[in-house]
Amino acid sequence: MDFKTFVFYFLGAILVFAALRVITARNPVHAALYLVLAFFTAGGVWLLLHAEFLAIVLVMVYVGAVMVLFLFVVMMLDINVERLRQGFWSYLPVGALIGILLVVEMTIVLGGRYFGLEVMPEPPAMAEGYSNTRALGMVLYTEYVYPFELASLVLLVAMIVAVTLTLRKRKGTKYINPDDQVAVKREGRVELVKMPAEKE
Amino acid sequence: MLESYFPVLVFILVGLGFGIVPILLGRLVAPWRPDSEKLSPYECGFEAFEDARMKFDVRYYLIAILFILFDLEIAFLFPWATVFQDFIAAGEHAWFVFGAVMVFLAVLVIGYIVEWKNGALDWE
Repeated sequence: MDFKTFVFYFLGAILVFAALRVITARNPVHAALYLVLAFFTAGGVWLLLHAEFLAIVLVMVYVGAVMVLFLFVVMMLDINVERLRQGFWSYLPVGALIGILLVVEMTIVLGGRYFGLEVMPEPPAMAEGYSNTRALGMVLYTEYVYPFELASLVLLVAMIVAVTLTLRKRKGTKYINPDDQVAVKREGRVELVKMPAEKE
Repeated sequence: MLESYFPVLVFILVGLGFGIVPILLGRLVAPWRPDSEKLSPYECGFEAFEDARMKFDVRYYLIAILFILFDLEIAFLFPWATVFQDFIAAGEHAWFVFGAVMVFLAVLVIGYIVEWKNGALDWE
């Protein structure tokens, strides 16, 4: 077993362990942290498969941003763990059915008829210095420029939707607009009144 | 191939060390005599009033979602950073690629302006 295989099995073991803990951990915050570990390890496996760009994006977007949101949600939402567990047995049949279906589908697809070593031999090794981030960049901004621009529109729509759905102005806050504060002139605050001196 | 990731490994090890060594040092060097009072939850000298989990303002999530969206934007720009030099060297499509990315950024700046003008980035 060479070093690369060892690294693969090492990462794989951590990945399977972390994924199992995600669904067995009692504390949802722990589950979310194990999911972070699982993503991170999956990033390592992808690096081994020469998929650097995917690995970087997985770590940057999922570990860096999506899991932050997840942690936010599970740490701050008042979830009562006991109440969550109440429906376990009544949900079990539906959950088991969906789980079995997923396993069956994955076995059909990955069972060797379509993804076996005869059908998909190992791809030829890339030349030294080959980078698939580069390869992606070479086509993303030229050949696939139209989908690239569409992606920006999708992000724009997501931004506008997030703002419109969650933003509401609250009444009665003591908020002061800093622009107005900075723009204050003497005339706006003080008024000097000329008046004759009062004599008794 | 794997050798080129050696610096990354060093980074990871240094990062782990930064996280673990101070805690270990504190545990080893400082006196450690816990009792039930010291280990109990502490809220400014009172007994804890309520559960730590409570309803939080939705604005926290808005900030997190906006962060994810701009993070994705970075993911799209990442290949650009690696190949743009090549496009300039080839001289053929450099302006086209530059324009494409600028249009991409311009659309996202529209989103940024929408957020700013709606006050989504303010904390009142």
